[in-house]
Amino acid sequence: MDIVVRAAFAFAFVFFLTRIVGRRELSSLEPFDLIMLIVLGDLVQQGVTQSDYSVTGLVLAAGTIALLQVAVSYLNYRFRRVRQVLAGEPIVLIEDGRVLEANLARERLTRGELEEGARQSQLDSLEKVRWAVLESSGQISFIPKQ
Amino acid sequence: MADQPDGIVLRRHRDLEGRFWGPWLRRALLALVALVAVLALVGVFGQPPSTTSAEAAPARMAISAPGAVRGGLLYQARFEIRANDALNDATLVLNPAWLDGMTVNTIEPSPVSQASRNGSLALSLGHLPAGARYVLFMEFQVNPTTVGSRTLRAELDDGEQSVLTISRRLRIFP
Repeated sequence: MDIVVRAAFAFAFVFFLTRIVGRRELSSLEPFDLIMLIVLGDLVQQGVTQSDYSVTGLVLAAGTIALLQVAVSYLNYRFRRVRQVLAGEPIVLIEDGRVLEANLARERLTRGELEEGARQSQLDSLEKVRWAVLESSGQISFIPKQ
Repeated sequence: MADQPDGIVLRRHRDLEGRFWGPWLRRALLALVALVAVLALVGVFGQPPSTTSAEAAPARMAISAPGAVRGGLLYQARFEIRANDALNDATLVLNPAWLDGMTVNTIEPSPVSQASRNGSLALSLGHLPAGARYVLFMEFQVNPTTVGSRTLRAELDDGEQSVLTISRRLRIFP
């Protein structure tokens, strides 16, 4: 029983962390982030299964996490208000070539990072951007001017 | 002014109406995570040892052990006995809370004998002459499923006669 509780707690805590660290940290996966991801996975595993090496333990932990993932997905789909809390909402960063500095600051994004994102979307100037939106996933969508 | 993309509501997603509290809530929750880390740094979640002692005419005893431990971790309890008078049959009696949900890895030096005394563990330490110092180490590991708070009692007896008792609290975090 305890392994189900630990897996549920680990799921909730990691979910909570990803929601509070901010989308800036989630938007990229650089070498350091990749290493931290592996380290975090190992820490979570130790806390969930501890000294349980059994297949039963694997089924309980993995099954619990999968069920919770489906539950969160369903809540996101079914309830708009819950989606706003669980997944977050998009934020407009550029409107008609004009950078919305306050929104940028809110997400701890620099103009340089915005320009980098634009370049990755084959846009050589922010003035050519009609809309830039920081999505709830942490990715920035660029819609060029016509 | 460009028409906004589908799904974007300018008042909410550009002007951030009703979303003022977002960053502050995020900062507050991050502060909560930081607080937990700070509490861990000052030892709230284990496991720096603390010493509790008691003295009676025939002997003095001090126990050094953590007041908080976490599931799966190893820890040590150190019992130091100083005999003021000779103890013919020094016996350390530990209540079940010392052992329940714990794994005892070793007891050094090994007691002369071990027995159950009304459900407690009685470790016979043998004869302690006046002025003798006896140090007993017990190495424990917390079973992963053990959680909660409990009172540990250690009684030093001379034969069946109680000399002194020490009580400590132990908090076990999951």
